[in-house]
Amino acid sequence: MRKLFSSRTLVTIIVALFIIVGLIAGSNWWAKRTNQPPFFQRFANDLAGGVSRIIAAPTNAIGHSANSFASLMSTFSENRKLKAQIDGYAQNKVRLQTVEAENASLKKQLKLKSTLTDYQTIAAATISRSPTTWQSQLVIDKGAQAGLKKGMPVLAGSGIIGRITEVNTVNAKVALISDTSEDANRFAVTLKSSTGDVNGIISDYDSETNRLVMGQVTATNDIKKGDVVQTSGLGGVIPAGLFVGTVNQVVPDDYGLSKKIYITPAADLSNITSVLVAVSQMGN
Amino acid sequence: MAWRFLKFKLIYPVVLLLFLFVDGDLMASMGPIFTHFPLHILPTLTLIWLFYAIQFEATNLGPYWVYVVGIGLLFDIYYTGFIGTYTVAYLASTVLMYQLRSFFDERMMSGLLLFLIGLVTYLVVTYVTGFIINIADISLTSFLTFEVLPTAVLNLALAALGYYPTWSFFQKLS
Repeated sequence: MRKLFSSRTLVTIIVALFIIVGLIAGSNWWAKRTNQPPFFQRFANDLAGGVSRIIAAPTNAIGHSANSFASLMSTFSENRKLKAQIDGYAQNKVRLQTVEAENASLKKQLKLKSTLTDYQTIAAATISRSPTTWQSQLVIDKGAQAGLKKGMPVLAGSGIIGRITEVNTVNAKVALISDTSEDANRFAVTLKSSTGDVNGIISDYDSETNRLVMGQVTATNDIKKGDVVQTSGLGGVIPAGLFVGTVNQVVPDDYGLSKKIYITPAADLSNITSVLVAVSQMGN
Repeated sequence: MAWRFLKFKLIYPVVLLLFLFVDGDLMASMGPIFTHFPLHILPTLTLIWLFYAIQFEATNLGPYWVYVVGIGLLFDIYYTGFIGTYTVAYLASTVLMYQLRSFFDERMMSGLLLFLIGLVTYLVVTYVTGFIINIADISLTSFLTFEVLPTAVLNLALAALGYYPTWSFFQKLS
């Protein structure tokens, strides 16, 4: 019978497997413990990002054309719906400006420099998205030069989409909240229920149903489907008030001692062409 | 003769590198289709290009295995930040296709079957490594239904589209 591999090849494969498993586990461990990748990795990423940006031009144009065509199909009904909403937004904008001015004035009187809700945004464009099975990551065209740091939250569309996981000189990687790695979607949130706020932490992402999970909730508040979930700002890196999503389902946990809340993310994770990185003003 | 090797050594890795970036760009720009929940379709032009070299017996025209390891490492560094997963996936897939090549012939359908084996190997390796670094949370059924199946359909179609033009191109090189 013809052999696929010789004995020597088999031994080499087994040794290589051990080395590779060590490499995967080691580099994963290293990436979690450092704020910036080593120089070689940063250099390769910056160079690759530059090349990718050039190549992205025609493919992005094709993608944008396809999206534009799809949007065109729903323009009429969408326009009618939006017109009905726009008057309300204009009123809210004026009210927001008044409240912001009042807030700034009160802060000044109290000699408060900045609070959990104060943040600035840095706009960035998506260069690339990892064509990978697990890590849902974006590469954006801003890096350490623009002031980005590991852990900063990233917004797109109507809500938070993830956080910065790796910062190179001129680009950065963003792990989406749908990323299943340990710390991609762990952030402190506040659930605004009709009977008061409920604080907790996003503990998981359910890939099977595209929902975030807020576990270990012991509060007795009346939590209903549609209640808004936003970041609480606890921890300092992520500002308060970033829209995370809305409550989709509340279920008791396996032991019946606490609740597990499933949240529908606010942002559309499939179509991200540009993002905003939120930079907290706390500590400045 | 020397020019033939030089041409392969110049053109092949450049196209390989180009496809590495095109894969990511396609994933970003075609996101509304490729990542429309629950689908997760991966464009694998890089793997298709590696498959063509095996199918058209061009691996001896240049340092093919260096290209495989190099592109795997670059993929890991640029797209995931963790070294190893895709280096192994590319190597496992290409080594298997290379070893099985003699059982297949040059007809397109035969070649596409060989590529399908390579593609499934590539995806399975990435699925398994997800468990090593504790980030895997999709059931095997969902993985097969929403990732492997649509990814295979897309990439087999792409591989079929480029089959004869690439065959002709490799003929010119040899």
